[in-house]
Amino acid sequence: MSAPHDLHEPSERLLRHDASPPEGDGRVREKDAGSVRSSATDATEDALSGPPARSGGRGFVPQRPPTPPGSLFAPGVDPDVVVAAEAHAAEAHATQAHGGEAHAGGTAARPRPTLEELKARKARTRGLLERNVDVMTVSMGPQHPSMHGVYRAELDLDGEVIVAVRPEIGNLHRGVEKLCEQRTYHQIIPLTDRLDYLSGFAMNHGFCEAAEKLMGLEVPPRARHIRTLSSELCRLANHIMWLGVHIMDLGTQTFFSICFRDREYVLDLFEMLTGARLTHSFARIGGVAKDLPDGFEERCRKVIDFLPKRVAEYERIVKHNRIYYKRAKNVGIFTSEDCYAWRVTGPPLRAAGIARDLRKDEPYAAYDEVDFEVAVEYNADVYDRFLVRMKEIRESCKIIRQCLDNLPPGPFLSRDMGHTLPVKRDVLQDSAAMIQDFYQVFRGPQVPKGEVYRATEAPKGEMGVYIRSEGAGTPARVRFSTPSFYHGQAVPALVEGEMVADMVAIFASVDVVLGDCDR
Amino acid sequence: MSDPVAQLIFLIVKAILMPVLIITFVAFVIYFERKFAGFFAGRVGPTYLGPWGSLQSFGDIIKLLSKEDVTPLRADKLVFKMAPYIAFIPVFAVIAVLPFGPVGGGPNLFGHRFDYVIANFDAGVVLLLAMGALSVYGVVLAGWSSNSNYSLLGGLRAGAQMISYELAMGFSVVGVVLMAGSLNFVDIVNGQAGNFWEWYFIPQVVGGLVFFIASIAELNRTPFDLAEAEQELVAGHLTEYSGMRWGMFYFAEYVNLVVISAIVSTLYFGGWRAPLTVLDFIPGPIWLFLKMIAFIFLYMWVRWTIIRYRYNQLMSIGWKVLLPLSLANLVVTAIVVSLQG
Amino acid sequence: MSVAAGRGDALPESLVVAASKLEKRFGRRLLERVEFRGELTYVVAPDDWLRVLSFCRSAPPLAFDQLDCLFGDHLPERATAPFAVVVHLLSHTHGHRLRVKTALVDGQPVHTVTGLWPSAGFDERETWEMFGIPFSGHPDLRRLLTTDDFEGFPLRKDFPLQGTVGGRIRTDLRGKI
Repeated sequence: MSAPHDLHEPSERLLRHDASPPEGDGRVREKDAGSVRSSATDATEDALSGPPARSGGRGFVPQRPPTPPGSLFAPGVDPDVVVAAEAHAAEAHATQAHGGEAHAGGTAARPRPTLEELKARKARTRGLLERNVDVMTVSMGPQHPSMHGVYRAELDLDGEVIVAVRPEIGNLHRGVEKLCEQRTYHQIIPLTDRLDYLSGFAMNHGFCEAAEKLMGLEVPPRARHIRTLSSELCRLANHIMWLGVHIMDLGTQTFFSICFRDREYVLDLFEMLTGARLTHSFARIGGVAKDLPDGFEERCRKVIDFLPKRVAEYERIVKHNRIYYKRAKNVGIFTSEDCYAWRVTGPPLRAAGIARDLRKDEPYAAYDEVDFEVAVEYNADVYDRFLVRMKEIRESCKIIRQCLDNLPPGPFLSRDMGHTLPVKRDVLQDSAAMIQDFYQVFRGPQVPKGEVYRATEAPKGEMGVYIRSEGAGTPARVRFSTPSFYHGQAVPALVEGEMVADMVAIFASVDVVLGDCDR
Repeated sequence: MSDPVAQLIFLIVKAILMPVLIITFVAFVIYFERKFAGFFAGRVGPTYLGPWGSLQSFGDIIKLLSKEDVTPLRADKLVFKMAPYIAFIPVFAVIAVLPFGPVGGGPNLFGHRFDYVIANFDAGVVLLLAMGALSVYGVVLAGWSSNSNYSLLGGLRAGAQMISYELAMGFSVVGVVLMAGSLNFVDIVNGQAGNFWEWYFIPQVVGGLVFFIASIAELNRTPFDLAEAEQELVAGHLTEYSGMRWGMFYFAEYVNLVVISAIVSTLYFGGWRAPLTVLDFIPGPIWLFLKMIAFIFLYMWVRWTIIRYRYNQLMSIGWKVLLPLSLANLVVTAIVVSLQG
Repeated sequence: MSVAAGRGDALPESLVVAASKLEKRFGRRLLERVEFRGELTYVVAPDDWLRVLSFCRSAPPLAFDQLDCLFGDHLPERATAPFAVVVHLLSHTHGHRLRVKTALVDGQPVHTVTGLWPSAGFDERETWEMFGIPFSGHPDLRRLLTTDDFEGFPLRKDFPLQGTVGGRIRTDLRGKI
């Protein structure tokens, strides 16, 4: 069931304002002509260039070394090449047979800005930035009323304009990677729950995919479908909560309560399925912990039947809201170039026009057996990230429905002596299973020597898991390269030059969760 | 009992009764805000204290009184302590000139005339605008005296916002004044005699709308509450206030809300007049109360539904949209009134 | 552009082409090449680190425009060069991935790659803080995740899992290494 077109596009009335330059009128400022950083000269530079506001260990502002000749990002490179490459990539995805029904039609109706246009827009919105001015330092300290975890950003403000940002993370560092080295692969799974604690299963799943790749283990089809279903439920929960938090950051707490109310339906499903609302620990090496319980399918179908309608209603409220449009349009533009440079993936990258979704590009679990579209928008601002996430909610419901419809029979956990935990019922009755259980719990699985890296599409972006094994049952090195770590690092590039009130909106739109960031 | 003594007694009674009633009402308005917020969000709001949680405000007062009084070390103590009162007393003072029932006419109480207004003041509208301006001081001084970066920033932003929107408010009110021919609130209400289609909200629809929106900015409520937005960096000018001092600011905000609702009802919706003359037998104060409740609900509805504007967008709305509209309203009203003789 | 990497053990087309280009350019400077589970890993010497990675980023058949992650590793059993820095690269244009590693002794620095990919900034800070591998040219090399007064390099294999280090926040150390 695809929503009608009018829900994909903002109303015409709002689109008419799209062509005009972003709001520069209310910014009444006195400056002499000499010190104005004119946007004309900056049209081809982005936030990475220019001398840093402060240096000497006070903040990370990257210096651009002389770029080697022929580099992809040298200013001398023909932008048309970059644009053409991206347009080709976007077209390839839009027309691929993954099912691009409404997608191609919907986006053809709206003009897609080129990379140059986006960069010019960005330069205009950040045109008030002056580097060498008197600044007031304000700390957006580790305690936030707006629920982004314990992230600290020291802002240098010149009036309303943010001149520099120095982020500080680490308040939630729990040493997950060190802990992983002392635990068997099975014991690491509950640790991964606490990474992005808002989508616990997605983290479990990512780790299990990496471990199974290392062991060369095949997961049975039923387990793959259940994993896909659960990951998409995680994505639903995450995006619905994101919507509530984002709108709450912009002003109203009503939406937050409403969205959390709807998230409760998904969390109830998780409780039914895994026994826990947030820290699922449901994936196992080789499958999942349990099969779908009785009544789960019926309840799940009820939820995914009514949730898209609810979300469509919220989307309609927010998308056509004039105030939201003014606060989110052309705010926080982060072009695809910036996204590559700062390793920003997930919805912000897709909002910049790059149709990169690991579920399609490097499929895992049952994603190559289900039919869905990649949500792509082209304006790379907060508004488009919102649209992308709303579309992803709809697509998640589609995927879940397909998983439920096509759920193959079979085992939910691979019966592999050397790699998987046996089903508990068998352990108490079958001696082979008892031996397997003993072996797996005390020694861990049989893993070949080697290293592997596997990235999956977590709700917040690409989560990569690197595992190096020396043949023991515990890994020698595990590295989680989580999306929020890089998104938190990209905050200066995202926000410098914008106004203070936009900082909260932009920060919310890149979806940083400190569990993910600090590990 | 001679008339001056009776009038004096009535005055004392009114002067004591009105503030007490308003303050008690405000306690329940705070409760209603939280209840409505809950209902709008699919929750239930306070339910614990009292029937349906109605005594929540009193519980909050007791809690706030029992908190430690924290004053910043280098704050200007006198100003810091006076600021909440400067924020609320001026607007509260406007109650003195608002009529809540018929004024003038023959004896109606124990053989003496009981006027339903504390002070029949000939420059009531001027007092309204002046007091609105004074209350800005409370906010700005709170921010400044806290000796903190954030508070200063918040206080200045709030102050600038309130001043900008007061202009639009002032000009819209002048439209009403032109129609009534007097700055006295009593005359303004008397000029809206008759049924509800003769009230000023129809001819002054533009002015009324501008006044309503500008008053939301005066009250520092969403969508114009950037100065005290919790989700922005800090709590603005209220950052350093805790315990009962903060309670006083919170209280002041709701007193302002109640008084501004009363003012809106008086200026545009007939004050204590019944919507249909056949319903005149219901006393004036009841009608004013009902209209106040309606506006209070409207302010709350707006607050819990709309997201807030960014500061530059807020200022541009105040100066570039509301002010020209109210001026246009004023010009048109002046022309029409003078043409009508 | 989309490639189903990781499902089989064969390397994707574009990666084979990229690998041959890389080997033609650097020849014996690529000390080791490993193919495992459909992934390609090269080991280079620390002196060639920046050169190889620049080439990876700029050469069109490679076009590794995103740094997926950079981190350190400690292999105490390898006595000659117990430390390692591992980098995962991703190309959006071709859709292939590459792993590049280097082996170091204790305290041997490696050149920063923040000039090529700014996202390496936090990664290199974390590697310094966890393993003690310095990155020359990094604009702001100091502790990232641990507290300001933390002593030691926690992810080294000889650092204990449990124990007590320090006990108070030393604000005089804030901002310094």
